[in-house]
Amino acid sequence: MSRLGALAVNEEGFVFDPTTGDAFTCNHAARLIVRGLIEGKTTRAIAEVLADIFDVDAGVAERDVHDFIDHLRVLKLV
Amino acid sequence: MSEIVVGVTGLHSSDNPGPGVGVARSLKEASDLNVRVVGLAYDAMETGLYLNQWVDHAFIIPYPSSGGNALLERLRYIKAAVGLDVVTPTLDVELPLYAKLEQTLAEEGIRTFLPTAEQFRLRGKDRLVDVASAIGLHLPRTAVVSSIADVQDALKEFSFPVMVKGVFYKAYRAYSATEAVGHALALAVEWGYPILLQEIISGEELNVIALGDGQGGCLGLVGMKKIWTTPLGKIWTGVTIRNEVMEAAAQKFIETYCWRGAFELECIVDGNKVYLIEINPRFPSWCYFATAVGVNLPANLVRTALGRPAVSSQHFDAGRLYIRSIDERIIDMSIFQKMVTKGET
Repeated sequence: MSRLGALAVNEEGFVFDPTTGDAFTCNHAARLIVRGLIEGKTTRAIAEVLADIFDVDAGVAERDVHDFIDHLRVLKLV
Repeated sequence: MSEIVVGVTGLHSSDNPGPGVGVARSLKEASDLNVRVVGLAYDAMETGLYLNQWVDHAFIIPYPSSGGNALLERLRYIKAAVGLDVVTPTLDVELPLYAKLEQTLAEEGIRTFLPTAEQFRLRGKDRLVDVASAIGLHLPRTAVVSSIADVQDALKEFSFPVMVKGVFYKAYRAYSATEAVGHALALAVEWGYPILLQEIISGEELNVIALGDGQGGCLGLVGMKKIWTTPLGKIWTGVTIRNEVMEAAAQKFIETYCWRGAFELECIVDGNKVYLIEINPRFPSWCYFATAVGVNLPANLVRTALGRPAVSSQHFDAGRLYIRSIDERIIDMSIFQKMVTKGET
């Protein structure tokens, strides 16, 4: 997961990339996805966590996870 | 603990600050060194001279263009007046003269620790192609040109905007061939040839500051990203980073050239590609940032200049924030008057 593994993510959703100095803010869902990816979880497993917490369909949540990963790709974090 | 008297230059603390205040402050914070700082200035208006929490004495010195004898005579006077064990010139323009005087100064008991004349020449932007390749960094596409006709020819190979750079100082962004030629003419008048045309790379501007021991060893380094800069491009806020490619390049630079003294590499990072933009053969104005995060390079420079062992614990964490802010100092007019009339306080 390239630079993703080095990200520092705090409880408030502040994300810091120590290799470039970039900083981002994440909402609760995004933070769960980032944490899940850093921990090496599959997109399916992350989606199940989101579905459980936010009471949404797991299929919809998995599409959202993939959308979010596309954002991370644009930022060259994955 | 015996006292060490260190002369520091570059004390102008303005919107384009010199490195001197950061160097002086770093030296004062080295707990194993008992440093008395002598501020060496070219003008009584160098505001850092009046920051007496870090600068103990202040003297006006002759401009480098006055030559070695004038400087030597003044430094002898200062040594006799308040002592002078080490001098740390911090401005590019001073380095060749101090390097030339190194042996003479040492014989008089005034130590320096500076890049050699050959190392100093590596800072020339016309040498960046060789240096970038030697240390494993990329260089934006660059043309080194020596006439306005060459500028016009070379521009055919670039898309706009393009950077037009003087060989040592100043760089302009040009959006057309006419504008590029105009900038090139102005640079040629001010700094002479060659002039560089360089493609503009998008990415993060990251810098690394380091100290080489002159034998290929690194006496500490710190990487950071400028978050906010002034209209002059000077840092206003920054954050420490740990970028392996950039740190490895700094280490390689020291090993390859057996770099002696302080330097700063200015880079642009685009993903995993790190482009070398500039080499500064001295401390940058933000050098106190490195000290505050645990890597006191000015102190290590002084230790090395005096033949003492450098401090090897040089760890720093990413994510420490640097914030520059304005301070104001009200002093008695008599102090300034003394600087103007006597050249010392």
